[in-house]
Amino acid sequence: MQQLLERIAAEAEDWTELRFQARQTRTLTVRNGLLESSTSVRLKGVGARVLALGVFGFASTTDLTERGIRAAVAAARSAARTSAAAKRDRVDRLANASLARGVFPVDTRDPLDAHPLEEKLALALETEAHVRAASAKIVSAAATYDEIQDEKVLVTSDGASAHIFDSKPSFRVLAVARDSGDQSLGYDTVGVTGGWSDLFAARTTDELVDHAVRLAVDSLSAPQPEGGTLPVVLDPELVGLLCHEAIGHTVEADVVLGGAVTADKIGQRVASELVTMCDSGLSPYDLHAVGTLPVDDEGVVTGRTVLIERGVLRSYLHNRETAAHYGVAPTGNARAFVYSDNPIIRMRNTYIEPGEQEVGALFAGIRRGYYLKGFAMSGQADSNAEFMFGVREARRIVDGHVGQLVRGATISGNAFRVLESVDAVGNDFAWEKGAGACGKGQAAKVDSGGPHIRCTLTIGGRQE
Amino acid sequence: MSQSILDLCRSGVRAALRFGATDAEVYGQSAETTSATIEKHDLLMAKTQQETAFGIRAFVGSRLGFASTNDVADLERACREAVLLAQASPADPGNVLPNTQTIAPVDGLYDPAAEQYTTDRVVEKAIEMLRIAESVDRRVVLGDAEFASKRSERAVANTRALAASERTTLFLYSALATAKDGDRVSNMDYQFGATRSVGEIDVEPIVRRASQNALDSLGAEPCGSSFRGPIVLSPQAVEALLVGLILYQLNARNAVRRQSRWGDALGRKVAASSLTLVDDGRRAGGVAASAFDREGTPHAPVTILERGVVVSLLHNAYSAAALSQPNTAHAVGSAQTVPAIGPTNLAILPGSASKDDLIAEIRQGLLVTRFSGNVDPVSGDFSGVAKGAQLIADGRLERPVSGTLIAGNVFECLETLSGVSQEEETIVSLTLPYVRVEGISVTAA
Repeated sequence: MQQLLERIAAEAEDWTELRFQARQTRTLTVRNGLLESSTSVRLKGVGARVLALGVFGFASTTDLTERGIRAAVAAARSAARTSAAAKRDRVDRLANASLARGVFPVDTRDPLDAHPLEEKLALALETEAHVRAASAKIVSAAATYDEIQDEKVLVTSDGASAHIFDSKPSFRVLAVARDSGDQSLGYDTVGVTGGWSDLFAARTTDELVDHAVRLAVDSLSAPQPEGGTLPVVLDPELVGLLCHEAIGHTVEADVVLGGAVTADKIGQRVASELVTMCDSGLSPYDLHAVGTLPVDDEGVVTGRTVLIERGVLRSYLHNRETAAHYGVAPTGNARAFVYSDNPIIRMRNTYIEPGEQEVGALFAGIRRGYYLKGFAMSGQADSNAEFMFGVREARRIVDGHVGQLVRGATISGNAFRVLESVDAVGNDFAWEKGAGACGKGQAAKVDSGGPHIRCTLTIGGRQE
Repeated sequence: MSQSILDLCRSGVRAALRFGATDAEVYGQSAETTSATIEKHDLLMAKTQQETAFGIRAFVGSRLGFASTNDVADLERACREAVLLAQASPADPGNVLPNTQTIAPVDGLYDPAAEQYTTDRVVEKAIEMLRIAESVDRRVVLGDAEFASKRSERAVANTRALAASERTTLFLYSALATAKDGDRVSNMDYQFGATRSVGEIDVEPIVRRASQNALDSLGAEPCGSSFRGPIVLSPQAVEALLVGLILYQLNARNAVRRQSRWGDALGRKVAASSLTLVDDGRRAGGVAASAFDREGTPHAPVTILERGVVVSLLHNAYSAAALSQPNTAHAVGSAQTVPAIGPTNLAILPGSASKDDLIAEIRQGLLVTRFSGNVDPVSGDFSGVAKGAQLIADGRLERPVSGTLIAGNVFECLETLSGVSQEEETIVSLTLPYVRVEGISVTAA
């Protein structure tokens, strides 16, 4: 396939990118003692992107013969040329980059295929049974194992030719508790780029079960929070979420060009000087972050991009088009989820660098506030950095001590104002995106994390 | 492709039986999509996509396995894999195929004129959306918009003599607008439209509505004070705040999973009498209309809630068998997923009051155009930001407000729901009115 794509790209009249992808997804869901689904999904196809007359055109096909791929290239070229008259801002050129050549294997000693289906099913069955056995109040339980394995061949007419392998397993545990007609939900997830044993390196299935059950059961009797603007300590999962969802999207260069709040702010102070925020295709501090990728889907070799350095905005996230527009080097953030998606600017592993404070010290000095842990179900952020996130686990802080659980907490505000309010950064670090994915018209497996931080933000709650 | 999708489904069923299945179903779909995307108020790209996929459910007794492939040449291997997965699975008596029934076709699903809808016409429509936004107000920016034309064929065959197929056309369009006036930036507003017929394509209403909602939120200031009181939800906010939880609770699979409070609520009142909810998979002009569901069961109109009383859950074959209730033909999903449960053309029936009447009776409250927040479908607790919100004072819209949080419980909202408007909007396959709910906590940021 690689030789065929190289030949077609070399003969193309216009700049051409060809991406073959073969994906296998396997999912096992056990619920209430029964196997709810055991599925295997295989996809393969080629996505062709052509830059002609200053406009991109894209076409995808599942016909993997030379004729089929050439037809896709012709369709992409035709789409570009058809659009040219209507396009206002043409793409003058693509930025030069270190384009990948060679084979890029998965970094693991324990590949998923070395573990048979029966072993994965047994773990899901056993874990789900543990959830039901953990408390008489559990009325529904589930355990889901997912794996995505990709093989890609990426070729561009200007020199990239990479054979890339990827492996991203995840595991989710869910518990529903009921008491006197009241119901509540608890869950926990892990996800990695890597193999079978890498998946459970940070948290075992027993720890996932304990956490999900405790949350579901304790939430039954928990009150709702009182709304207001308060000092809070955010755990690494919420720090990562804030980095990714509320800040990260506003520094994606396509969003910046669309009028994000970060436009024209390079070099300006946008956060507390305690904050250094990065996005990386590597996995610093801890291995196997979910968004790890050696090469992006334009063939650019990835690295670490410092977005905010001690409170000052330093960079956006770029593909080759926006990097040329801004006169900088591409950052390796062009990604496509499947062969039928065109590459767009996406994050990889987004995080705040750890600081110097012991985590315990962050709580001291808070007379009345909240310790906020984990992301609950849904959230949204606008390109003006205003965000709203549900919180999975919110506990009151009174006179420096963490206490009562409250349920249904939501946080909101302007993410840059929240980062300006950061007055302490912990010396810990964790990747915490787990089994989740980011959506931007197409999915992307990403990770996010950081240390604990202390800041001020608004909590939605009940008014009497 | 030399063989039809339906023929390939039939051959897949035969292959699954050869490999050891006792029952089997193969669902196939093929589609050609052409789309043009607007980004940053400029044409971004035109795109064409051609795909074919098959999903095989193999039953070995009451053991079930599922495999999917998008490669016709790989279909036999996928059938074998589905059987192997079934053989490795524990049994579940709910794993059954539906009873095969006669399927009457639905008119108006396929418009042959769509075959002439070429890439240049798709691009023209996207550009028309830009021009409409500019005609509303020069301060409007279409940050994201898309026009897509799709021609599809789907088919399903199983070992119970089911063999059905249908062709559809669909035009989908969406617009995300913001308004900028100097340093002032509005909230974004997102609107969708869809039709199956070339003659009914009309992008103007959605672009105008998104543009106007964005303009209306310019200059929004914080709410001022926090209070607890009534809010009026726009159809889009009704979808985000109420419909998701209602569908979760009425999804019979969640009843089987013991995750629904309404799983045993047939005949019980769970909402105010002004709330009646219907679903009609055959509704003329409905963009979710089709002759049969993902499992090949023919669609039929269903009343789900009648004057606040649960009349029916939404079922597929699994949940109907597990709960011994009628199958309502709500199996949904693609060839890459096992059949789940979901609505088709869903509607909350309109009430007798006007939207203005709902507002006129409020001394202090909020009109919420869009809800961006978290609804826990299990506990019913919700909390989030009221987007495009207007403060209501003494029965009138006073001013736009920003950064305002609303919180409460959806189960309580449904019981205390105090008004449903005559006016309704269609959001792709949902038709929803304005709704007034009481006792909501409104927190000024």
